[in-house]
Amino acid sequence: MEKMRKLRFMTEFTNLKRLAAAKESFEQLYPEVEVVIEQSADHFESLRAYRSDEAPDIIESGGWALFNREGMFVDLNPYVEQSGMEADLYSGPLAIARHNGTLPGLPVDMSVPLLVFNKEMFDKAGLPYPEDDWTWEQFVEAAKKLTIRGDDGVAVQFGFGIGVDIEWYEPFVFRNGGTYLSPDGRTARGYVDSPETIGAMQNIIDAYRVHGIIRKPKEPSAAGQLHEGFAMIFGFMWFAGDLIHHGIDDRFGVARLPRLAEGRNGNMIYMGGAGITGKSQHPGLAWDFLRHYLVDSHSWPLPISRSQAEERGLHEHRIWSRYLEELQHAQPSGFYLNEKWNSSRQLINEDMESMIVDGADVAKTLRSWTRFA
Amino acid sequence: MGHIAEEERMGVAMTVRAAEPRRAAREELELAERAGAGDAEAFGELFERHRHKARGLAERLTGDAHMADDVVQDALIRAFLHLGTLADTSRLLPWFFRIVRNQANMKLRRGGPYRKERPFNSLAAPGGRDAAAADWDDLDSILSRLAGRASQEAASSQDPAALLLRKETYETIHALLHCLSGKERGIFTAYFFRQLRPEEIAGMYGMTTGSIYTYIHRSRQKLRQEHIRASLGLMPDAKRGAGMENGKLLELAAGEGDQPKLFTLASSLGRILRTNGEPRSGAELMGTSGLAFRMSISEKTTFSDGLYIFDWRSSIQELMAGYGYETAFCCGQLADSPVPLLGAVESFPVVLPIEEAVLPFIRSRIDAGLPVLYFDTLASRPFIHEWSVIYGYDDKRRIVHVTDPVQSTGKMLAYEDVADNPIRFLAAFSRKGNRSPVSRPAADSEAERRFAHAVRYGISFANEGSRYRPRTSYLSYATGLAAYGAWIRHLADPDTAPNRYGMGQLAAAYAEAKRYAGEYLRAAPLRGEAMRMALLASEAYEQAALALEELSLQVPFVKTAEVMPPGLREGCISLLRKAKRFESAAVGYMEQAWKRRIEERDGEDEEA
Repeated sequence: MEKMRKLRFMTEFTNLKRLAAAKESFEQLYPEVEVVIEQSADHFESLRAYRSDEAPDIIESGGWALFNREGMFVDLNPYVEQSGMEADLYSGPLAIARHNGTLPGLPVDMSVPLLVFNKEMFDKAGLPYPEDDWTWEQFVEAAKKLTIRGDDGVAVQFGFGIGVDIEWYEPFVFRNGGTYLSPDGRTARGYVDSPETIGAMQNIIDAYRVHGIIRKPKEPSAAGQLHEGFAMIFGFMWFAGDLIHHGIDDRFGVARLPRLAEGRNGNMIYMGGAGITGKSQHPGLAWDFLRHYLVDSHSWPLPISRSQAEERGLHEHRIWSRYLEELQHAQPSGFYLNEKWNSSRQLINEDMESMIVDGADVAKTLRSWTRFA
Repeated sequence: MGHIAEEERMGVAMTVRAAEPRRAAREELELAERAGAGDAEAFGELFERHRHKARGLAERLTGDAHMADDVVQDALIRAFLHLGTLADTSRLLPWFFRIVRNQANMKLRRGGPYRKERPFNSLAAPGGRDAAAADWDDLDSILSRLAGRASQEAASSQDPAALLLRKETYETIHALLHCLSGKERGIFTAYFFRQLRPEEIAGMYGMTTGSIYTYIHRSRQKLRQEHIRASLGLMPDAKRGAGMENGKLLELAAGEGDQPKLFTLASSLGRILRTNGEPRSGAELMGTSGLAFRMSISEKTTFSDGLYIFDWRSSIQELMAGYGYETAFCCGQLADSPVPLLGAVESFPVVLPIEEAVLPFIRSRIDAGLPVLYFDTLASRPFIHEWSVIYGYDDKRRIVHVTDPVQSTGKMLAYEDVADNPIRFLAAFSRKGNRSPVSRPAADSEAERRFAHAVRYGISFANEGSRYRPRTSYLSYATGLAAYGAWIRHLADPDTAPNRYGMGQLAAAYAEAKRYAGEYLRAAPLRGEAMRMALLASEAYEQAALALEELSLQVPFVKTAEVMPPGLREGCISLLRKAKRFESAAVGYMEQAWKRRIEERDGEDEEA
């Protein structure tokens, strides 16, 4: 019998059910191979494992930062090319994965945000459901009617639910024709302080301060959780998954986020990746497993491959089909392009809070963010 | 990505054109295979044949002849760096042309080379030069690629660089080498330029192969820092001035047996205080700091990061202020290195990985006789990152002396390691005003005040959890008594894999914390019924500690990447339930003790 080959797979994820299933089926296909699953708490630990004498063959990471490290991962472009699966893969996330020219990993755990709306609240208010081509103005008008406050001013229902996070406002910036950073991520100057970006941000701040349709940080609320007292929700795939998991998805509809400028459809995407390390002694075998795990097996809620989505009936699913469709509109967010920007996001969020709560000047604040990239 | 398809068409067309004469095609395929295997000569020859085509493409895309030269040069270097990642060598040329196109687009987007930054060469190399020959962001990759070649014996006699990189690239690397010591430079050049294997270099210097790797790693760090220094216009190391080298080693009080082993923040502060002539017991430090009463478990799984998630600055400042000290911090995070414990350091500013930003803080404090609290991300295994104390520095050897939770005699860290630490967290403590002798009653009253604060904190933390919550949306922690629930959930959930490494640390650390909580309460400055309740709380904490110590025996704190076997989970859950029962009781007794203390105080006031 051929000598047992070990393929070491390090993951930062904690739900290993699908991975364990893929390991089992792969080991049946390749009886001489043992896939060893190892865990890592974060990118820091993964990088340390990579630098050690016993680097894993594959690293699956919850974010993209490690994949931006030059030379750490094998370029998967030739593998994708050879396997002829390019056309089968969703090109939106793949383009982001390739933003540095190579393809250091295949996207996993992809999640894009959509406008998830509570149908009953719209029905009660006698309002039509949101449409995919809604403008920002239509969205704000509806949200104003859907925000219900008691005599004490405390909202029992908010028109829109979204947290304070610079990353979550980026789709609205994209949809106004702006960006935070230059396409190569090298600078924020001329981008985060552009009229398009400032305009989008001003609209968002007005939604909090002028229209009162979004709950401000620490604002008293009687609206409960997102799925309870919010007419429209900035809902990632994970949120929709929870609605489905709890069997309440039929109460909700899904539409694209409103547009701020004509012809602007961009959206953000969160994704991790799985890639073959440059130190792997078995890159070919590692690719076989990666493909088996991510393309042939049903491993992640939103698969990277169209044929798998087809096989699982996701294209016909009322909600999942919308999220899959949205993948095509994903643009690289600032956090993919520049590590300094990425690492500064909580300082930026503190400024966001100052604009929302204290009314700090939007244009001036955004101009000051040029220091972060 | 329409342009990719276009590139591929172009790549195919080039291949077809090149394939017309069969012999040339065969030769090229052979060259590509050799190049793919790391043969630099073959790489050079292959790309010389296509350089003019590549240049033509680059010029057409950029519309600038000078920029086209740079594009091709950069593409060549990038191609060489990534050659090892290409699976199918027959696709080497189309791939290369794609790189040319990407480089051209990048240059155009950037508005020409170095629109934003000054070329490094012009700063670092004497006399200044035109645009840099190499992409200096890729210094590490250039070196590692060259090093990769060194491991291939077949190529050991060749000098791949001469075939690939323009002369000035090498001159620039050489210009940088002044930042290395003689020995470092010798090892570095033997490895990268003479392409000797680490084993050979080890033989030459009479060292182990492992230490050769350490030297190489350190040299790379130094070069990286030197690059940043040069781009900031800071004076290179060599010009810093002879005779300015200093150093000082403080006599650090020995770590005593009663100090925490796993809570290095408490033990490090304890050593600093003892060095200042103010010894505090481990129990007092753990209790007063609140560490004995805190429990925090990640909502993801049994990762150990919860142990470190709190507001570092305010916790340390508050604790040391209680002992009469003012705290000065030097903190930040590096952007280009993955940062651990994001939930604690997420709001630290991004700082540069250069010595100038951190060494002056250390030098000035050590010179003033003050040991420095330091967060070390190179802690010895099984620890990952821990608090420690810097108690000396040596400019000549370029090292700091630092404590370590495993190495009882301390260790040394190179200046580069300190500058390159992804988390920069240092704190130094100076006494507020003059230290005057404190009368016994005043000291007792101060100790009582600290105890009262600690107990109130412990009760509130257990019942309501931590007030500190990370902003990072995907990080959340179950805290206080609720942490047991999360811990048990992680073990009971069949879909998630509890993290064994983290669980080992959690069990050992929280067992230690509960043990200290018990000890702290046993020495409570209380009387009567309040004291009886405190002793009951102490006993209950001891029992909780026993359960967690048993858990720690089942899942020991050792470095491992293994996933926890399912069979172990059930036993762990029952021990955690046991610990939770005892700790809940302990908190109840603490509440009673607190209530009785207030009643007794009220009674005393009335009597008075």
